[in-house]
Amino acid sequence: MAAGSMVGRTLSDRLILVAVIVLGIVMVAPIVWALGLSLKTNAELMVDTSSVLHAPYTLQNYWDLVIGSPVFRWFVNSMIVSLGMTIGVLVLSSLAGYGFARLEFPGRDIIFVLVLFGLAVPEQAVIIPRHQLFSELGLHNTYIGLILPGLSTSFGVFLMTQYFRAIPREVDEAAMLDNATRFQVFWRVLLPMTLPAQATLGIYTFLHAWNDYWWPLISGTNAQMYTVTVGIASTQINFAESAGLGFLMAQAIFAALPILIVYVFFQKYIVRAVSGGAT
Amino acid sequence: MKRRAFAGLAGAALLAGCGVSQAPNEIVVQRFFGTCNAQYGSQTDVAAAQTECGIITTLINKFRAENPDIKVTVSTVAWPGYNQLSAQMATGDAPDVVTMHESAIPDFQSRHLLEPMGEELRAVGVEPDNFTEASLKGVTIAGNVWGMPFDTWAPLWHINMNYFRQAGLVRDDKPILPSSPEELIEQARQFKKATGKPYFVQALANQKPAYSRNLYTYLMQQDADFFADPKRIKLRTPEARRIVEMFRTLYEEGLTTRDQDYAAATRGFMNGDGGVYLVGTWMIGDYEAESRRPDRPLSNGYTVYPYPQLFPEKDATFADGHSWVMPVKERTPQQRQAVYRLLKFLADNNFQWARTGHLPAFTSVIESAEFKALPYRDNIAKIALTGTPLPAGVERRFAIEDTIGEELAPAIAGQKSVEAALFDAEHRVNDLLFHVLATSGEP
Amino acid sequence: MSVAAAHVTDSRETRSGARGDWSSLLYVAPFLLIYIVLVVYPLFSGMWLSLHKADFFGERVFVGLENFTRLLADKVFLGTLWNTFYFIVLTVPALAIIGLGLALALNRTTRAAAVLRGVFFSSSVLSVTIVTLLWRVVFIPDGGFIATVLEMFGKPPVAFLSDEDLALPAIAITTIWWCIGLPMMLFLAALQQVPKELYEAAALDNAGRWKTLWSVTLPSIRRTFALVIIIEIVLQFQLFGQAQLMTLGGPNNASRPIVLFIYEVGFNRWDIGYAAAAAQILFGLILMAALAQYFVARRKGEA
Repeated sequence: MAAGSMVGRTLSDRLILVAVIVLGIVMVAPIVWALGLSLKTNAELMVDTSSVLHAPYTLQNYWDLVIGSPVFRWFVNSMIVSLGMTIGVLVLSSLAGYGFARLEFPGRDIIFVLVLFGLAVPEQAVIIPRHQLFSELGLHNTYIGLILPGLSTSFGVFLMTQYFRAIPREVDEAAMLDNATRFQVFWRVLLPMTLPAQATLGIYTFLHAWNDYWWPLISGTNAQMYTVTVGIASTQINFAESAGLGFLMAQAIFAALPILIVYVFFQKYIVRAVSGGAT
Repeated sequence: MKRRAFAGLAGAALLAGCGVSQAPNEIVVQRFFGTCNAQYGSQTDVAAAQTECGIITTLINKFRAENPDIKVTVSTVAWPGYNQLSAQMATGDAPDVVTMHESAIPDFQSRHLLEPMGEELRAVGVEPDNFTEASLKGVTIAGNVWGMPFDTWAPLWHINMNYFRQAGLVRDDKPILPSSPEELIEQARQFKKATGKPYFVQALANQKPAYSRNLYTYLMQQDADFFADPKRIKLRTPEARRIVEMFRTLYEEGLTTRDQDYAAATRGFMNGDGGVYLVGTWMIGDYEAESRRPDRPLSNGYTVYPYPQLFPEKDATFADGHSWVMPVKERTPQQRQAVYRLLKFLADNNFQWARTGHLPAFTSVIESAEFKALPYRDNIAKIALTGTPLPAGVERRFAIEDTIGEELAPAIAGQKSVEAALFDAEHRVNDLLFHVLATSGEP
Repeated sequence: MSVAAAHVTDSRETRSGARGDWSSLLYVAPFLLIYIVLVVYPLFSGMWLSLHKADFFGERVFVGLENFTRLLADKVFLGTLWNTFYFIVLTVPALAIIGLGLALALNRTTRAAAVLRGVFFSSSVLSVTIVTLLWRVVFIPDGGFIATVLEMFGKPPVAFLSDEDLALPAIAITTIWWCIGLPMMLFLAALQQVPKELYEAAALDNAGRWKTLWSVTLPSIRRTFALVIIIEIVLQFQLFGQAQLMTLGGPNNASRPIVLFIYEVGFNRWDIGYAAAAAQILFGLILMAALAQYFVARRKGEA
């Protein structure tokens, strides 16, 4: 590692370096261990898991995965749900954000405070009535049913409202002078200016949707509707019933790959998205 | 923006449709017993399959191959899957046919969530009169049959005979088993001294039902009527205390494995962790196969028995059974017929299922030479007589099992007094039962 | 996370560039509709439900506050409250301090620092089910990673997940591993916003590193620190997946959090009135944390 400035002049620098490296190893160790397990045959692991420390290694579990795992179906479901939720949140939040930031209508400020209040309502606190409502509407085990709750969170509206507010009013006023309609101002002038916020919100929503466990666990109960998250859970609750430890690990590694690849490529944006809303 | 929104909504609506639509000839079969597609996903040779998972998977594959007009979608759930099934039923997305413990049938039946199946089973030639007595009892409520029984099972003593021999606990090629709690502890000490291994292998971690089943069995053997009133359990009794204290002593003295979860204990027994593994009928097939492998702790040294009678009052052991039930649901005539064809097929192959170690659900199978020729079936045959479920009328048995397990675990591990654990278990179970809202609408 | 944004609100009256009329409502209507149906209605419906004895499959009887008195006498529920608070004590300070430490150590422009930042954040993009799967095979005494390492040193394995005293700490370690990325990044962002002039002034005063850290850096990110603490409290309050997947709330109820209690009572015991009552208590607690955040953020903003 070219850590020129980190390998250091002083003792404290070195201590910091050691601490960071130790923590780094702690970060990576579980993944390496799981990777090791995934490269051993299930029969061998059945006898002794520490056989992971030595050869032979095999890709058999990954091959088994390709022929005998529903993980691909889970991927498709997760993709549909995550993309659907992301698009929905962007559309709704942009419209509402503009509305709250720039327009006037009766009760606007009170409504905004009520929406803000939604930030304090945890999903888990409304689970029972929400589950019943979706039962009555026949929305469980549908993509819409998996997507909708994600659209009800106030966070996006909130973020977009702020972005719209941060744009100087002179921008609108100049456009209005050109006889643009209000929607045109929104669509042609202001919306493009919020693209960074859209990216932040989009990535945040996508990640959140991809990793959500609570609602899909309760709503997507048919195996064909499992998302990756729930699918992985369904195989792990009872280890002994599974096709073996090595196979389970292969499945977990495989399921983690797409999001890790996305992360490697879009790291900068993802970090900004996840921490951006908070600062 | 608006156009995009509409396109999005339209797209989403389309997707919503394709999520659940079921073809008119498609049936959804939901089961536990695990996934093993990697090994058995494309196999149809049932006779060559091993383990619950292997046998059920190949059975369904074979049915698929023989019935190309039916589309069978299998959905495997984590055991026992009742949270999920409840959610599905509440939402009208129930599968067409699903595995259910006979002990769980009353909960679902009393809420009008299951279809009566007797007549249609009869129509396809699965005669309820051919069910074993235990099975028939297990699926019958108020004169109607609410499921097709698949097996009867009970927790058993799976024994490592090689260690037993080493410990001098074998006579005439049979294990010497205890006949009282004191003798059990004595033999366990003797065993540990001779082999250096704990007597029991138990799945004590994150495995709630095992505790309750042990308790039930030994309460039944003492003829303790702990559910005299099906709405109230009685656990603050000398009988219950005796049992929990026995297991606690075993734990304290290191006469049982500790901290193993189900997977670890199942594997541990195979790897020679101890002398007796307390687990159900379903492992017989696996361990029998293991005993035929050379140079393994179980090589030529495995046998299995029902829970020995530790109390003179009664020879009894807790038992339950797996069955297939049909949730109330709209089905096309084609689907309905397909389900019964599958059930008929499973009934016809009940012997194959019994190779797992479970007792068959059909008299004709249990009496067949083929079944009797399977190893160890003599030893456990008496379960057909001694196997006892909880009294009829006890609701929410899975929730009760979990609750009792949660309380007994710390008592046995010495983290809580036996007295307090039994008190809390009794209180929690009764609180649970008191708040069960009967569908009759009783307050 | 979502609550995080609350502090940035600036509810100063916006002078309107557009006329106030009902058609403007159309912009916010789609969201409002979903919000009312999926948040407002269930919130009140849940409060109403919590006053009933109700079965998952339909029947319900009004019982007033009985569910709440029952909760307050329910050892298991009270245990979940304690567990949840204990879990917060185990995770939140650790997340804040380790996160700050990493941010200070990695707030450099070198390539190595960038790679390490990436490594420490990477676990945050994984789902809870993958995280727990990874950590279960680290913790299990029977051939798990830690057990294998201990064995190499001739030590007996430790049964983290089935020991009453270790189960929740083990879940906490898993959680810290999973969540460390966010506080680190929040602190990094805050560090980069500390005005350069402050450091220059400190340098002119010949202040040492530690002194600069103490008198310049830390005071400048005070607000972020409070924010991280509150965000993490709200997040960790909602502990569910890790406990459900790693310990089922055991042993001896030692690792059962409130949310798992709600889930089990509702979907396993079918006692949904009781579950709804427990949900009200969860809501009340989170609301308090959120209000605390709002006021902390506000006061700092005004100061």
